[in-house]
Amino acid sequence: MKPKVAFFDFAGCEGDQLQIANLEEEILDLLGQVEVVSFREVMKEHSDDYHIAFIEGSCTRQQDEERLKQIRKNASVVVAIGSCATIGGINSLKNYQNLDTVKKIVYGENASLFDTYLARPIDAVIPVDAYVHGCPMTKEEFLHVVKSLLLGKKPEIPNYPVCVECKKNENVCAFERGEFCIGPVTRAGCNSCCVNEGTKCWGCRGMVDNPNENSQKEVLIKYGLSVDDAIGKFKLYFGWEKKK
Amino acid sequence: MDDDKKMHIISKDTFAEFINNLIADNSLNVVGVKSKGEKFAFGPLESANQLRLDYDVTLLPPKKYFLPQYEERVTYDVATGFKAKDPKESKSNVIIGVHPYDIMALLHMDEIFRETKSDPYYLERRNSSIIIGTNIQKMSEQCFAPSMGCATIDYGYDLMLTDLGEKYAIDVGSHKGADLLNKYAKDVKKAFARDIHAVGKKKMDIVNMTKQKFNFSSELIPEMIGRFYEKDSFWKDHSEECLSCGSCVLVCPTCYCFDIQDIPDLSLKKGQRLRTWDGCLLEDFAKVASGENFRDTKANRYRHRYFKKGKYLFNRFGFVSCVGCGRCSSNCLPDIANPVNLFNDMYAESLKSGIEIDSATVPDISIKTGTIIEFAPKLATIVKKVPMTANETMFELKLDDETDLGHQPGQFVQVSVFGVGEAPFGVSSSPTKKGTFELCIRKLGNVTSKMHTLKEGDKVGIRGPLGKGFDAEFLKGKDLLFVAGGLGIVPLRSLFNYVLANRKDYGRVILLYGCKEPRELLFGDEILGLEDRDDVEFMSTVDWCPEEEVWTSNVGVITTLIPKVDFDPQKTYAVVVGPPIMYKFVIKDLKSRNVPDDHIIVSLERRMKCGVGKCGHCQINQLYVCKDGPVFNYSDIKGVPEAL
Repeated sequence: MKPKVAFFDFAGCEGDQLQIANLEEEILDLLGQVEVVSFREVMKEHSDDYHIAFIEGSCTRQQDEERLKQIRKNASVVVAIGSCATIGGINSLKNYQNLDTVKKIVYGENASLFDTYLARPIDAVIPVDAYVHGCPMTKEEFLHVVKSLLLGKKPEIPNYPVCVECKKNENVCAFERGEFCIGPVTRAGCNSCCVNEGTKCWGCRGMVDNPNENSQKEVLIKYGLSVDDAIGKFKLYFGWEKKK
Repeated sequence: MDDDKKMHIISKDTFAEFINNLIADNSLNVVGVKSKGEKFAFGPLESANQLRLDYDVTLLPPKKYFLPQYEERVTYDVATGFKAKDPKESKSNVIIGVHPYDIMALLHMDEIFRETKSDPYYLERRNSSIIIGTNIQKMSEQCFAPSMGCATIDYGYDLMLTDLGEKYAIDVGSHKGADLLNKYAKDVKKAFARDIHAVGKKKMDIVNMTKQKFNFSSELIPEMIGRFYEKDSFWKDHSEECLSCGSCVLVCPTCYCFDIQDIPDLSLKKGQRLRTWDGCLLEDFAKVASGENFRDTKANRYRHRYFKKGKYLFNRFGFVSCVGCGRCSSNCLPDIANPVNLFNDMYAESLKSGIEIDSATVPDISIKTGTIIEFAPKLATIVKKVPMTANETMFELKLDDETDLGHQPGQFVQVSVFGVGEAPFGVSSSPTKKGTFELCIRKLGNVTSKMHTLKEGDKVGIRGPLGKGFDAEFLKGKDLLFVAGGLGIVPLRSLFNYVLANRKDYGRVILLYGCKEPRELLFGDEILGLEDRDDVEFMSTVDWCPEEEVWTSNVGVITTLIPKVDFDPQKTYAVVVGPPIMYKFVIKDLKSRNVPDDHIIVSLERRMKCGVGKCGHCQINQLYVCKDGPVFNYSDIKGVPEAL
């Protein structure tokens, strides 16, 4: 029997589910291994009978917690997909501001109608078994995680920084091109895709287990950033990790 | 040309034609130095115009053509097993524009990949590739090749170019180089004395280009660094800003550590096993499945890099494994990886503390080139699966080719589980057991957990036996004191059962066995049955006994059993196997009972990946646990700080 899988989304852009919809020919191979029972982005049907739940987006409201807990109850394996779900993502930017101000900016005079709290990753609410990091996650890593789970294996996600992949790809270091890169503290696994394309790492995969944040900040300052801007570099994606 | 070994002259136009002729021959892969942004990199050449022989340094060394970043070595198919890629299919290249220090680095790597067990893929690429070197025209800011004696080189190339303005001098270094020139270049002229003179002058100028200099002779490095191992504050201060990003080692032309990963395809039935670059500066490099990290601080990892290059490889091969290319320092963002700064600091501190340092004596080394590494595991079938405790299961395996494993007691095998990966396990059965062999496996990581889901009749892959086991021959006639803690009983049992099978050849046999609590006792029936034998003295202990369990023997850690046995330390050899923490205490107690150091034999556990002394993961200081061990005589490792 093929394991049944379902997809869920919370606060996010659904860009990660789009990556799955865009798998092209590999989607057929994937469908040979699993049965999709719920996937709002591509199908109408829905079922609560599933083994693996893929969750996109961060949790930004108290009332979302109930839904997450229900998914946890239904699924034997919960996988967080994309930065919002794995580390809180850019939604956590709001965590640096007053929540009432944030609501007013977004909803204007209707702000009182909407509820919000600190944006957080899925594992701040329910236990998560596997992570597909990235903003958006890459198709390759999604398949890597799915294959691992189907083989009964804990997916291996690197605990070394993006620099490792950058060096293997023989990129010119972003700092040498005048960019300010956060790759030296960011968890690899993306094959340094942004730097490969000539830009820099923004940190969308979250930090490695033991980042040397002080050294990273000093490097940013040495290459010309102000102290505030250097600290700011850690805010874009690391909002939740830094607050907790 | 009738004389291979001479120097030749070629005009720059004719040189460009030569390169274009090489490119035009589709049977050759022609690569050379090209610009990449404001930097340089080796890459495929489409035209001679792309070649930038005036480069300072390339981002990565040409090592990538011999030990590629990612390399498929084995494919597997659940239906048919494992298949190693034919080394003959390895791609060979004509590599143009290699600087002398990078040529020297390849000569270092040749010895590493040839020693004891040779790597057929690396060697095939080396044998079939052609190196066209070039003397340095511009030296990178961080280059200190002159200090390492690697700014120029007279060996290791097929052709070597020196830019002499409107022409190149080409020094022919091999028949392959001569043939290449003959076949693809026209108008090659004999060099006159003035040209040879000009080349000599250029080479001398190169030595003076450097901005990075040691304040001492680099020959002092092995001896000097050896005195700094225990200066913790020195290493801590220098590594404080380390990002553990591995950049310094990944760009190094002499670093060769690697990882092995299994990549299943979407059928989940087939896949490939990749070898990929790894680095000892990365946090998890020496971490084992149980979670123990044998080099868990930045300072320890940072020190290991310098020791590996400055001391360990010197002891094994007689060279300091650094060619002075300066890539480590130019790629280190916090700027702490520059060996010139580190060694100058070390020298200054030596002077300050009045330490006098002599040049290290180059060790007398004969490098044994041996058998070819077998990368593809053999298939084996699980013939019996016996749960032993909640987490440990005994697997009895039979090789599908019907051969005996042929192991020594104490050796290990690498077990491959399809789609999951490979992990090392000490063989638990005695070699006297024919036809099958046994492994006792604790559920811990991916491979072991998956292994526990396999059933009798299922297949796994086996590489080995590997490593150095117990010397059962030498131990004959001796009294033996076996001390096993927890899982340590597993590899120890291979020797213990061998001794029992040949009981008359050995003196007294004493076994002390301890585990955490009664339910964790391994080989229960077998072990407790020893109590009925009068030719074996046996004692067991548990750290504690929960109320609901029954235990009538000793309660306390393993060392509480040692005072209870009486033995003659001069006639007794102690064989001690257990978790890392146990060794320190057991050895201390044995020594207090006057057991000589060389009468203590241990077996160590580390993260063994390749199993043949190449990948670097299991290294403890200068020793490779997989090759020099896992069984060690204590007298050989008591001075090895990372061992116990």
